Amino acid sequence: MHVVPLTRNFCIIAHVDHGKTTLSDRLLEYTNTVSMRTMTAQHLDSMDLEKERGITIKSHPVTMTYPAKDGKVYKLNLMDTPGHVDFSYEVSRSLAACEGAVLLIDAAQGVEAQTVANAHLAFGQKLKIIPVINKIDLPSANLELCLRQLEDILTIPSEEAILASGKSGIGIEDILEAVVARVPPPRWADHPQTRALVFDSLYDSYRGVIAYARVFSGAIRAGDMMMLMSTGQRAEVKEVGVFTPKMLKVDELGAGDVGYVVSSIKDPADIKTGDTITLANKPATEMLPGYKEVRPMVFCGLYPVDTSDYEKLKAALGRLRLNDAAFVYSSESSVALGFGFRCGFLGLLHMEIIQERIRREHDVEIISTYPSVIYRMVKHGGDVVEVDNPVNMPDPGTIIEIQEPTIKAAIHIPNASMGDMLALIMEKRGIVEHTDTLDATRVMMTCQLPLNEILVDFNDRMKSITHGYGSMDYELGEYRTADLVKMEILINGDPIDAFASIVHREKAEQKGRELCEKLAEIIPPQMFKVAIQAAIGGKVIARDNVKEMRKDVTSKCYGGDISRKRKLLDKQKEGKKKMKQFGRVSIPSDAFIKVLKTN
Amino acid sequence: MSHFVTEQAKAEPASPLGLYVHVPFCASTCDFCAFYQAKPTAGAVERFLDGVGQEQALVTWPRPVTTIFWGGGTPGLLSPTDLRVLGGRMRETWGGQKPLEWSVELAPASVTEARLAALKEIGVTRVSLGVQSFQPALLDGLGRQHTREQVYRAWDAIRAASFASVNLDLMFALPGQTAEEWADDVRTAVGLGPDHLSTYCLTFEEDTALWVKLSQGRVKLDPENEARLYETTWAQLGAAGYAQYEISNFARPGHACRHNLNTWRMHEWVGLGPSAASQHGGWRGANVADLDRWLAHLSRGERLTEDRVRLTPALLAEDALIFGLRMNSGVDLAAWRERCPGAPWPVVDALLDQLAEDGLALREDTAVRLTDRGRLLADSVGAEVMEAFATEAMSA
Ligand SMILES: Nc1nc2c(ncn2[C@@H]2O[C@H](COP(=O)(O)OP(=O)(O)OP(=O)(O)O)[C@@H](O)[C@H]2O)c(=O)[nH]1
Ligand code: SF4
Ligand SMILES: [Mg+2]
Repeated sequence: MHVVPLTRNFCIIAHVDHGKTTLSDRLLEYTNTVSMRTMTAQHLDSMDLEKERGITIKSHPVTMTYPAKDGKVYKLNLMDTPGHVDFSYEVSRSLAACEGAVLLIDAAQGVEAQTVANAHLAFGQKLKIIPVINKIDLPSANLELCLRQLEDILTIPSEEAILASGKSGIGIEDILEAVVARVPPPRWADHPQTRALVFDSLYDSYRGVIAYARVFSGAIRAGDMMMLMSTGQRAEVKEVGVFTPKMLKVDELGAGDVGYVVSSIKDPADIKTGDTITLANKPATEMLPGYKEVRPMVFCGLYPVDTSDYEKLKAALGRLRLNDAAFVYSSESSVALGFGFRCGFLGLLHMEIIQERIRREHDVEIISTYPSVIYRMVKHGGDVVEVDNPVNMPDPGTIIEIQEPTIKAAIHIPNASMGDMLALIMEKRGIVEHTDTLDATRVMMTCQLPLNEILVDFNDRMKSITHGYGSMDYELGEYRTADLVKMEILINGDPIDAFASIVHREKAEQKGRELCEKLAEIIPPQMFKVAIQAAIGGKVIARDNVKEMRKDVTSKCYGGDISRKRKLLDKQKEGKKKMKQFGRVSIPSDAFIKVLKTN
Repeated sequence: MSHFVTEQAKAEPASPLGLYVHVPFCASTCDFCAFYQAKPTAGAVERFLDGVGQEQALVTWPRPVTTIFWGGGTPGLLSPTDLRVLGGRMRETWGGQKPLEWSVELAPASVTEARLAALKEIGVTRVSLGVQSFQPALLDGLGRQHTREQVYRAWDAIRAASFASVNLDLMFALPGQTAEEWADDVRTAVGLGPDHLSTYCLTFEEDTALWVKLSQGRVKLDPENEARLYETTWAQLGAAGYAQYEISNFARPGHACRHNLNTWRMHEWVGLGPSAASQHGGWRGANVADLDRWLAHLSRGERLTEDRVRLTPALLAEDALIFGLRMNSGVDLAAWRERCPGAPWPVVDALLDQLAEDGLALREDTAVRLTDRGRLLADSVGAEVMEAFATEAMSA
């Protein structure tokens, strides 16, 4: 029997911001994986966007070497995971490549919704959980509460908890020792054939698809002929390596190893995450357990501001899709915006991040339409059409009923916030199914909410009601019938198809007012009067005016100044490029992302 | 008399030719200034004066110059002797006839009787005094130095020398300046009785000390306040008998600056000196903004090495609108239509109609001008004009 006694595979999971990436920094330092000299804060957050926003978007694997107190030297494969609910599929994937999980709990926040959700994901994969109370350096740390919650909410014995601070470097050795002692050695290593799980992939324009893989049994070397089990496709292995966290070429990836595989495969569509790699000359017959396919929940149209950028945008979407299976797109067109793409996202944060990456990494200025979920329209005669773009809503006369997607949410809040939270849920047309006591101070409300109601400001409102102590996890629920109507936005009397949305009839007026007000605020002052109106079935229900520009003039323009003046005007035109013209009105291309953000 | 043709314009020659000389020397750099300047060492001044002579010799003069403008920098930093040398050079461009107008910019601190005498002697007709503000504290905030007494002394000397026309430059929207302080400055300036007033809103130009302050958040922009100051200034000066003829320029009848009017109307002018721009002989361009490189270019027989563009009727028509709409008299469309029938007039007409409908422009007969509200948006209007001309270029 083949065992790999000196390797441990584990990930760090937690609620958003509980300090996973910072704690990873300390582990990397302690094991000399990254030298102090090259260490940067939140080192594993390697994307610019991750660094800037201080959040992890993708899981990041890294291999460390650790000489344990038992005198043996261990290979530790760590994966830092994202905490935000939009990216929970990244957590599932990482868990499938590990035998253990370090579960962090922010000592000042206690157990929150994604703590519970991610812990359940880890239990589901039969992983050993090492509970860590983190950020104990904070004056507001409440260890007693955290330990009690560990037992009450997560049913984990509190004696197992390690006290740590990623900031002050407390408990780092304890964590590493616990990983060695408590996480089991790599499983399924004695399977007779080579099997490796593809848990992520990256597209590189020179090397093609780089698959991130966890080898469970056997070994993969450069020169091997590999086979993808779901399709039977064969490819030659060009290079294998590990993450340090930079990619480092090695001779082979053996059982228990986490690393990357570069092969002759160029088309990312040919390698799906969740697939199993085996060797073509001695193939395995049984695949490793894969993943549920992730399905986007939120849709919006993305259009190039400059219509000549269409091909560039198409290429950018293609590239992003390569490294992000959860992101989908297909072409569509709009009267106001021309040719563009319907894009699907896991949530608003995901949507915002993809849009920002298109702008920054691919240098295409884009404008997005108002986001929508997928509605089901039941027509006379029983036909059901799915509509993810309000523009495609059939004539209301032909529809018997409209159904909207809901979510099943688990909301953790302090007892004192229950009344306000209930009011918010009612306002958002939700139904509380049951309320469970988590411990002396907190409850969990399980409720059903229309997905489109939580998209916009639900999370922010919940945070403010609970003074930051509320959190929510959700999964897609069933479809529910609702009284929904299409609301149009008119600019100087012209309906702009890209701004249409589907809203609940009773909320249309308020939504319309808010939308008009925010658009009026976001659209920069114009040279002339601009009216923004919201209308349902041709009837105006709200209106606002864009501010009129008061002053835009270069004061001094002396004789020889003509070229300089032209440069000024050119610059102004350049600024306008970040805007989309609707008739005579220039609207900033990120208007809808801004509209959706509450102040 | 129609609204659009002033008495003065009628007296203009059909094809005026301007001569601009950029004297690049300043005693110190003002915080808001983005003009090219050099240290006024004796050697540098001498090389500059020689360079002007060389550059003059390179120009093919199409006809005698009708206006001269010495700007900078601070031409007033030149010694009386140097002023005479430079003035002497000008004579080669006259073709026997004296120019209609010869302006020189002076800073209050540099005004001396000897200098004024030299200027009178060479034929200068118009002096422009850079007062900027009567409040020393505000001046200090701009890195400029002169006292109120210095301004008065300079003023008396200039008036005593009896130039045909005298201008005062003032600046508003200065950091820390109240509306009342500004109105006071305007009153004080009017009290001196100049023939012409230029009032400039403080502008934050890139690569200036002020820009740095702005980006550090030490000063703030307040467009609403600026708009109000523009409006009150226009009213105040109008009431005092100074008619506005351009965004920032006001004159008693007959005292508008011909040189500037000609450039804004897209006539021709020759620019001499480092960084000076020119527009003549079918070309527009500028000299390099560096004394030594300018001289090096001249020694190879080159000038106008920067931003060179060929002047086409369409470009001139476009700029005549962009710059002409800054003037209260506006633009004579009929004349430009005749000169440049190929320009995208239907698109331009549609734009001007739209501006008129929005209350930003007035169309009368064959001319167009901006309303007060439109003039405050002259850059936006200019950008729209550029767009109108660009659409046509694309479809052509
Ligand atoms: N006081 C204190 N602050 C910490 C500690 N660890 C992390 N932080 C802070 O908490 C914030 C979040 O830290 P991250 O390490 O990015 O958290 P994360 O869990 O990786 O966040 P996501 O990946 O976005 O879910 C940052 O502002 C850190 O500086 C700690 O031990 N003590
Ligand atoms: S404002 Fe005039 S004096 Fe001041 S630095 Fe500029 S050119 Fe020289
Ligand atoms: Mg992180």
